[in-house]
Amino acid sequence: MKTFTIKSIILIASFSFFQNKISAQVINWKNISKQNKHLLHVNVGAEYGVTAGLGYHHLIPIKSFPLWIGGEFSTPGGNKPADDFKLRVCAQIRIAALNHFQFSARVQGISRRFQNQSVTLFNFGSDFAGTLGYYRKHWFLGAEAGFDKAIVTHFKHSDWYKENIYFNVQDGWYEPATGGNFYYGLQGGYSMKKVDITLKAGKLLQQDFKSQPLLPFYGQLGVNFRF
Amino acid sequence: MFQTLQCHILFNNKKTGLHLKQKYSMKKKFSIYVTVIIFSVFSSSCTKERYIDEPGNLLPKTVMEDENLPSLTVNGAKLHSEAFGPKDSTLIICIHGGPGGDYRYMLNCKTLATKGCRVVFYDQRGAGLSQRFPKSWYKSQGSDALNKIFYDELKGVISHYKTSSSQKVILLGQSWGAMLATAYTGKYPNEIDGLIVAEPGGLKWDDVVDYISESRSFKLWSETLNDATYIDQFMTGKEDQHEILDYKAGLMGSTNAIVGDVGSDLGNNAPSYVASRSGAVVNAASYELGQDTKPDFSAGINNFSTKTLFIYSSNNKAYPDSWATKISSAYPNKEIFKAQGVGHSGMLNQVDFWTTTMEPKIISYIQSL
Repeated sequence: MKTFTIKSIILIASFSFFQNKISAQVINWKNISKQNKHLLHVNVGAEYGVTAGLGYHHLIPIKSFPLWIGGEFSTPGGNKPADDFKLRVCAQIRIAALNHFQFSARVQGISRRFQNQSVTLFNFGSDFAGTLGYYRKHWFLGAEAGFDKAIVTHFKHSDWYKENIYFNVQDGWYEPATGGNFYYGLQGGYSMKKVDITLKAGKLLQQDFKSQPLLPFYGQLGVNFRF
Repeated sequence: MFQTLQCHILFNNKKTGLHLKQKYSMKKKFSIYVTVIIFSVFSSSCTKERYIDEPGNLLPKTVMEDENLPSLTVNGAKLHSEAFGPKDSTLIICIHGGPGGDYRYMLNCKTLATKGCRVVFYDQRGAGLSQRFPKSWYKSQGSDALNKIFYDELKGVISHYKTSSSQKVILLGQSWGAMLATAYTGKYPNEIDGLIVAEPGGLKWDDVVDYISESRSFKLWSETLNDATYIDQFMTGKEDQHEILDYKAGLMGSTNAIVGDVGSDLGNNAPSYVASRSGAVVNAASYELGQDTKPDFSAGINNFSTKTLFIYSSNNKAYPDSWATKISSAYPNKEIFKAQGVGHSGMLNQVDFWTTTMEPKIISYIQSL
């Protein structure tokens, strides 16, 4: 199990450090061109909290399999702006296209942080998702489903926690996986010459298929700038 | 280590002069070194496997795993419990909030033992350091759930500590504990000799729901709300994984600006072991049972003619004067006291306020009975 954890960390960390580019979450596969290989993405929405994000991704045209690689930084609301955040590095590729229908797959490496009065958590995770959609030059609509796994998490508890809650708490890396959530929903958008307005929304379900997170849905309004 | 590696490369460069092939070889070596370093760093970070659901890792063990904890068994559950003061004197039964809190924050009340009372603390079933039960067990109790889960348990605790039929019994409950104390007194008015209630959220179910909504109406962009929701992507627990669910619940419950809670200050009343724990499953199950059965915690309290000491706090924004007036109206004979400068739990968990204000007030009440 230890070997698995170390491999996971190295894989994800390597992916994070050496790719260092990001892909937007919602892409109109019908409105991409080799002249606009760069895409800047800003978004606001709800995903385990009220969040705002900024991303960049780059197009690698591989004939029939356009590949976007990139990343996104997002942070939830609150009066401590840097205490919680999520950094995703992503590869998103179109796997199949039939007329206006297209199927794409996305794999993400995630590093994320959580901090409150009691504890600071740092987690490495992964996210695998597929999207099947109907894409036209100026609009698109699709359905997505995916799984977000919290692979390993580091716990560092505050002095306050040790003095008020539990003095013998064990800090360090925790494994095996500390959590996982499935998600499924719809995404769509309207595309102009160099700008896409995107929207996605859906449900979250914990990996036991019964329990729900405290915020059991997600939603995001985004804008893509292509250049 | 990085510097050592760089010096090593420079030294080799100067001494030998490298051909392209050798340079390539060095680059390859360098990559191997870096990989080894990364591997070593992460290896040392993972020297021991730790499971988030293993008792004792993130949360204190319960009485089921730690036999050294003081406990008693009543109504089919092993409860974390202790008592202070002369065994035969007036019993003060301290009833904590939640459901799913623990008695630790009430430990300032321990000083009543030095004033001649027998002060009893217990963690309710599924809460604090007491025994856990699956959610299905709570739900299976049906329409009689409150009796079977909470009232029979309190009856058992009183019975365990009561040494004679003439021994006086006073209930001291805070928040949910005050609701439970009220309901129990309404059910057994002749068995209770005094009632002290500190901010029962509501007594009719609709009032309970209103109070919960009001006391947790965090702003959408607030740190508190986003901390509560953001952690769900780091940790998830199944319906009866108490270790995980209790831990997450505990992270949310330490402070609450709306009700004026700032964390406990117990001074010398703190126990030698630091161990506090929420009961997430009993909390969730109780709320669901409440939604199903819509209980009236004030039922029968009109038959309790003894004076009730009703306390509320100035710093709890969800408990204004108008709410205190409304909730206290259920008690036929009462003294209302507003605790100035503290919040929902501060009436009991702030040692300075306890010493200067609350303890004298409670002693005065006990003497008036």
